[in-house]
Amino acid sequence: MAFSTLSTYSSNTYIPKTLSPINRRHTIRCSSSPISTQFDIKTYWTALIKEIDQKLNDAVPLQHPKPIHESMRYSLLADGAKRAPTVMCVSAFELFGGNRVAAMPTACALEMVHAASLVHNELPCMDDAPSRRDQPSNHSKFGVNLAILTGDSLFTLGFRHIVAQTPTDIIPHDRLVRVITEIARTFGSTGMAAGRFLDLEFEPNTANFVREKKFGEMGQCSAACGGLLAGASDDEIQRLRKYGKSVGVLYQIVDDVLEAKTDGERKKEGKSYVSIVDDVLEAKTDGERKKEGKSYVSVHGVERAMEVAEGLRSQAKKELDGLEKYGDNILPLHSFVDYAVDRGSIDW
Amino acid sequence: MDDDPSRRGQPSNHTIFGVDMAILAGDALFPLGFRHIVSQTPPDLVPETRLLRVIAEIARAVGSTGMAAGQFLDLEGSTNAVDFVQEKKFGEMGQCSAVCGGLLAGASDDEIQQLRIYGQAVGVLYQVVDDILEAKVKKEENEEEKKKSKSYVSVYGVEKAMEVADELRSQAKKELEGLEKYGDKVLPLYSFLDYAADRGFSFTPPV
Repeated sequence: MAFSTLSTYSSNTYIPKTLSPINRRHTIRCSSSPISTQFDIKTYWTALIKEIDQKLNDAVPLQHPKPIHESMRYSLLADGAKRAPTVMCVSAFELFGGNRVAAMPTACALEMVHAASLVHNELPCMDDAPSRRDQPSNHSKFGVNLAILTGDSLFTLGFRHIVAQTPTDIIPHDRLVRVITEIARTFGSTGMAAGRFLDLEFEPNTANFVREKKFGEMGQCSAACGGLLAGASDDEIQRLRKYGKSVGVLYQIVDDVLEAKTDGERKKEGKSYVSIVDDVLEAKTDGERKKEGKSYVSVHGVERAMEVAEGLRSQAKKELDGLEKYGDNILPLHSFVDYAVDRGSIDW
Repeated sequence: MDDDPSRRGQPSNHTIFGVDMAILAGDALFPLGFRHIVSQTPPDLVPETRLLRVIAEIARAVGSTGMAAGQFLDLEGSTNAVDFVQEKKFGEMGQCSAVCGGLLAGASDDEIQQLRIYGQAVGVLYQVVDDILEAKVKKEENEEEKKKSKSYVSVYGVEKAMEVADELRSQAKKELEGLEKYGDKVLPLYSFLDYAADRGFSFTPPV
């Protein structure tokens, strides 16, 4: 079994500010396994998803005007959302020994701005995506006008939520200001908006990681916000940034690989040998083709993509090496990287 | 949305840059606003607490219970909602601006409330007067009302709209009276109100 349950991390555990190895549950380490196989990431993550879904649900009640809020809830509370931005933020925060209650509003906000970005990206004039994870995209269901307003509303709500919900007896105001700056920078004209612009500009089949970069930005932002909330040092924030960026990009590359594999397997039946990548390109709609032609996988193929993913895994882990003094608090961040790469072979 | 080819005589953003760029530009201007507040406000003059309140206020004004709500109802086009739409689309911006000024200055909650009501009233008043002036011009030129949005004038008629404008003016004035202790410093706010109502002068268009 891939994940041992010998060392469990309860999501309700309050972690004292100074984590001494003596104060926590004793873990059994198997010297030949990588560090993260002792950590039950599945339990940790699913508990976190449940918590964040509840908070997001409470954050967007069905108030007047109902259709906007319905639309916001539709995109924010989408089924099967993995809440990766949340996990990165909360885990980065908990690395420094804080109680996650203080980080939850920011983590929620990250989900909101992320959702906002996706809603706008899926619009016909942008990526033109009819669906996401088998769910019709917002504009398919609510129309383009409402989708635009929904994106705008989710984005602003994120900022409001951080200010209104973060316990200021725990988190000083200057850290909140830094977090807000971080998110604003990430989504602005030199961050995501720039990425989205390049995404529109580039011809398909130009392999320049443009699409993947967007996810790197999100990961970077989430991890950095966790550190900023915790009052981490500038060095530590930098490490978290690089970690987050690597994980974000590699997560997306592996996503594309998994998609290419399943599509390829489907297409292979009854056909003579055709490359997986060709099949994938053939099967897509215009909008999806727009997307596919720009993914690293569709240009360089699955094997090369996985090489890149492994490289990013090492990079991410290297950054975590510099944070080893936080002991077991680092386990979630380690496990997150491994999950991002290995999940194709894991039965969830 | 409103499908405006131009604004104040200038072609709208999407007309020049395309719809996709226009969306990105809007998406980028939002966060720039927040970033600008944080990076440019002198920290020795304004404590962080007030910055956070300002950010929250702007986010609220623009969001799903503020301007976005107004936009949405405007698009729906129901005449019943015209008051709400005017309040949300134009009142919110006025309200927000006045309140932000007060928040930055560390005004009392009462004073913030007065500024809020003042700003709201001026915002809507400005728009109502705009509509009245436009209606008068249109009447003279015998043009057909083609605008998508419903205005006070198109729903209630010019006379009722003028009554509403008068009411708003009194409302705003009343709030300013409550701030009289600040002496001459209230004068710009009075003048602004008068301008919204009377348009006693016009700005020289750029050469």
